[in-house]
Formats: sequence, C-alpha cells, structure tokens
Amino acid sequence: MSRPRLSHVLTSLLAGALGVALVLILLELPAHSGLAEPVTEAMDRSGVGHEVTAVLLNFRGYDTFLELAVLLLAVWVAWSLGRQDPVPARSVRGPVLRGTLRHLVPVAVLTGGYLVWVGASTTGGAFQGGAVLGAAGVMLVLARPRSLPRVPRLGLRFVVALGVLVFLASGVGGLLGGHGFMGYHPDWAYALIVAVELAAAVSIGLGLVLLFLGGRVQGDDDDH
Amino acid sequence: MPIAGLTGGLSWAALIVIVPLVGALLTGLWPRAGGWVALVVALLTLGTTLGGALHVWWQGPEIHALGGWEAPLGIALVLDGLAAFMLLLTSVVGLFVTLYALGYVGRQERSGRFWVLWLWLWAAMNALYLSGDVFNLYVTLELVVLASVALVALASGGPALVASMRYLLLSLLGSLAYLMGVALLYGAYGALDLITLAEQVTPGHLLMMVAALMTVGLMAKTALFPLHGWLAPGHGSAPAAASPILSALVVKVSFYLMLRLWLTLFPDLATPALGVLMGGLGGAAVIWGGIMAMAADRLKPFVAYSTVAQVGYLALFFPFMLAVPGGWRAVVFFAAAHACAKATVFMAAGTLQRAAGHDRMSELADVMRGRPISSFAMGIAGAGLVGLPFTGGFIAKWLLVETAIAGDVWPWAVVVVVGGLLAGAYVFRLLGPAFLAGRGSPGRPIAGIMEWSTLGMALVSIALGFAGAASLQLLDATVTGPGGL
Repeated sequence: MSRPRLSHVLTSLLAGALGVALVLILLELPAHSGLAEPVTEAMDRSGVGHEVTAVLLNFRGYDTFLELAVLLLAVWVAWSLGRQDPVPARSVRGPVLRGTLRHLVPVAVLTGGYLVWVGASTTGGAFQGGAVLGAAGVMLVLARPRSLPRVPRLGLRFVVALGVLVFLASGVGGLLGGHGFMGYHPDWAYALIVAVELAAAVSIGLGLVLLFLGGRVQGDDDDH
Repeated sequence: MPIAGLTGGLSWAALIVIVPLVGALLTGLWPRAGGWVALVVALLTLGTTLGGALHVWWQGPEIHALGGWEAPLGIALVLDGLAAFMLLLTSVVGLFVTLYALGYVGRQERSGRFWVLWLWLWAAMNALYLSGDVFNLYVTLELVVLASVALVALASGGPALVASMRYLLLSLLGSLAYLMGVALLYGAYGALDLITLAEQVTPGHLLMMVAALMTVGLMAKTALFPLHGWLAPGHGSAPAAASPILSALVVKVSFYLMLRLWLTLFPDLATPALGVLMGGLGGAAVIWGGIMAMAADRLKPFVAYSTVAQVGYLALFFPFMLAVPGGWRAVVFFAAAHACAKATVFMAAGTLQRAAGHDRMSELADVMRGRPISSFAMGIAGAGLVGLPFTGGFIAKWLLVETAIAGDVWPWAVVVVVGGLLAGAYVFRLLGPAFLAGRGSPGRPIAGIMEWSTLGMALVSIALGFAGAASLQLLDATVTGPGGL
C-alpha cells in the first residue's frame, strides 16, 4: 500500500465539495413541469403519437440528428486510428453457440424492427431498436470469427452513414419546402419520421458493431 | 405556430451548417475524393459565410427556428454579429489550411482520414457558433472534441497518442461540467433556449453554480491557465496540417462559448473580484506561456506554448466586460488576430519541419534561409504575435490597451504591454538565427502550395489590421442578455 498522494487527496476533496454543493442546490430546485406543456400543445402537429418520439424526431430533431452524427464520427475516428483486431482469437467450437444464434438473431432483428415501428406511438424508437440490432451483430461477430462477411467498402460506409444521410435529406427537404431546416410537412411527418427512424436504427446497429470491432474492417484498409 | 419565426424560406444560418456537413458526409463515403471535396466545401463555406455576415451587417441578426418550432419548444439557430465574425474567421483560416493540407497530405497514403476528420470538425464548429440552445451546444461541443482529438492522434506514435488521450480526458471532463450546468438550468427554469433563459435567470446560488461549472469546463477546453497542461503536447505533436486548426480555431470555439454564455446568461454575476481573478489567471498565462516558449527547444512545442500565452489575453474579457460596455469586442478581435498569426506560424513550422526532417530549433537556421517564403510568412505572423504595426495583432493590442484605459482598468494594459515584450523576446529567438550569415538549403522537397498558402495566411493577418472598425461594427449586432453588455 502506498500512501495517498497529495494530488489524490486534493482531487477527492474537490469532488466531495462539488458533490455537497450540487446536493444543496438540488434541494432548493423549484418543482415544475419543464417543457411538458408546450410539447402537449404541439402534439397534434407532430405527426406521431408519442411525446418522446415527437421531441426526439420532430421538435428537437436537430439534436438527434447531431447525436447520430456523433456515432458516425466515432466510427470514422476509430477507423482513423487503425485496423480491427481479429476477434476472437479462437473460434468457438461446438454447436451450442451457433445453434442458439441461429434462433436468436432472427428474433433480435424482429424485435429491433418492432421497437423502431412502435416508437411512433409508444415507448421505443431508433436508438432502442438499433441497440438490439447492434447486440445481435456483436454476437454474430463473436461466434463467426476470422471471416466476417466481406462487404464492399462503399456499401459498408454507405450503410453506417445511412441514418445521417436520410435525416439530412429530410431536413434539407423541410428547408426547401418552407418548414425550416430539419422540419417536416405536417402531412408527411409520420412517413418521414418512420423512414428516418428505420434508417437510423440500421446505422446505429451497424455503427455499434463497427465500434465493437474497433478499427477499419478488412477490405477497407487503404483509403488513400 | 410552426411556420412563424421562419426567415423567409432559405436561411443563411442553415446553409452555413449544411454545406460543410454535406462535405463531411461525402468524404466519409469517398475518402479518395477528400481533397477535392474539401476544396469545394472550403470555397462554398466561405461564400455562404460571407453572405450570412452581409445579412447581419445590413439587416441585423437572423434567428432560424429549426423545423419551424419556435423556442422554447424547438431549437433556434442564431446568426448574429459575434457568430458571423467567428464563422468568417473560421472560413478564412479554414480555406488556407485546406490549401496547405492539399500539399501536406496530398499524395500521402491514407490522406482520406485527415479530410474526413477536418470536414467534420469544420461542420461541428459552424454548428456550434450558430446554436442558440444550451443542450444543442453540448452536442456540437462533443463533435468538436471527437474530431479534434482524432486529428491529434493521426500523427501516429507514442507521444501523439498519449497527448491525444490526455486531451480527450480533460476535454470530456470539461464537457461533463458543462452538461451539469445544462441540467441545472433546465431543472431550475424549464428551458434550454439561450434567449428564453436569458430573460428568466435570476442571480443566486444556482446560477453561480451553473456559471462556475460551465466556465471551469470551458476554461479547460480553452487551455486557460492553470488548465493548460494538455495543450502543448497535444498541439505540438499533431500533424502539421492539424496543428493550425487546433491552435487557431478549436481553442477559440470554447472561448466563444464561454463569452456567449457570459454575455447572455451570467452578466449579472460578473463582479470586479471575478474580473480580477480571471484577468489575473490570464496574466499568469501570458507570463508562464512566454517563459515556457523561451525554454522550449523544439519548434512545434515552442509555437504551442506561445498559444498558451496568447490564450491568456482572452481571459481579459472578464474585466473588460465590466469596465466598458462592449469592451469584450476588443478581446474577440484579438482572438481573430491571434488565429491568423498562429495558423501562419504553425503552417510555416510544419513546412520547415518537413523540409529539415526534424524540428530542433537550434538546427533550423539553414532551412529557414533556404525557404524564404515560409520564413517571411513566419516573420509577418511573428510581428503579429508581438503586436508590431501593420498587422492585425497591432490593432488588436491597440484596442485592448485602449479598452483598458477607457474603462479605468489600466493594470490590464500593463499585462498586454509586458506580454508583447515577452512575445518579442521569444519571436526573436525563433527568427533571429535566420538572419545570421550562413549557408541556406531548402532541405527536402515541399509542395509549393504549402508555402504559398502560408504566405496567403500571413497576408490575411496584415489585411485584418485594416478591418478593425468594420469588425467592431459587425460585433455590435450581437444578441446579448437583458443586461445588455
């Protein structure tokens, strides 16, 4: 055991003081409903039936768009740092994992798709659906080592960017149509939001798998 | 009303975000075309930014309600004087850095990576300048961090990776502190829109906590003394085409956000004691950065320490904000002058480093004599850093001193003058050897565009010297809080 260093003591004291100050301030926070009221008022013009989806995809769609961009940029950043490690080092033997996956992956795709679909009217959405798809992809990667399916490099890059591309296209369409950048025509809002969510879910799922792989995939090794 | 608040169909603010975003997406899909895409994007961004700035100049600030949803429900893009000025600065520096990078990474293998990261960074910076929503600002801040950290890490090798990791951790800490402030603001006032919040905030414990969290978080990102430790290794080890972007623009982005928050949300919290504290930290940065630059033995860390010093002047906006109405404008103009000069110096440093094959300052004299264009550009930029006449730096320091005297806070004028003397000493240390008689050798071959773009950037820093009055007038059209600083 080494003695605690001065910097550690100072850091702990600072963090403790910050925590105490935050608690004291949170205690005197007034109770109010935030933006719940304006959201409820605007729901009939949002194109969807669920408040969270309306906020994420319509009222504050620009935030969600940039969040998707963060995920896409994270993939490019990971790719700029190097190539993926082959995972796992040894393939899993035996029929159990493969058999399980054969049943699990179709169910995961169905669940992910369902989550995106119901997002328009109840709890769910692109991020939840994309996370389920991503989990299925990670399991596939773990079970089928060494030889991942070879995807054309442009195809892979295109699919991982699909969510951002579709969202931006819809947003520019809104600007040209006079509904403001990232806006929708009220009549088309539902269809556009579902399209954006589906594309986003696919990109999120693939993006998570690519981040799990942690580097450029084989076949995309020379981008000069 | 969903349509109300729209600024007649097309909006400059939206275009300024869309153009670099499209470029960033295209380079992601076709990295091989990165250089050409970047060049087109740079020209188009400069065009749209000019259009936006002229709009602000003639018709005043433009507020674009995204999706037609007005604040507080929706997010607003706010194109005002301050945003337009920073956008113009970014576009001009961005154009010259793009030209430089065409030569620097041009035929290199894997150049696509640089273009993707640079265009994403550019899009993120533009989005940040225009955002009028505290949470949306956080998202744009994250994009900026991610892209800039990766640009440092592009220079492969241990030191660059360690530096970028440290940069990432400190930057994330800063982002989290900022996010805590956002959460407190929403908890207390139920709104995220800056203009809505500015009308509602009341001085008190909560607002002081928010101001402290956000300011310290952004100070870390701006590398303001004593939170500057990450800057010199980070900017010093980044690739030559990335260092000018990071030092000229990225530290100004977090400074811009800090200034924006103090002008809109926290003007009532600014007390003379706070002015002395922050100005004092700035003064310490000027001295400390100057001393470290004097002691540096390699060129790029030397230039990076000069950034630590010059960032110190940015902290003067605290005392100036209190002392003179609109006194902060002098500091913003200084930020622009520093950005032009620092971009030039880093570009020239990258050229010399590549030509010589190393960046040990004591052995660079031959290459400096053999590369007169780069050395000349570096000389102009050095004069700008010191604040010699006929440069933007001179006008900037003139404005700083004038503001300090007009506001009767003349000790800060002393800081500016002493800082100028220190800068003179270290710039002379940089350029002096090139004037001694000796052999000149151009070193390894360099793409011509790298040298000419550096000279172009240097000429911009001279041209800036003639744009002082116009800049201040543009900055007058800035949306501030009810305090009206």
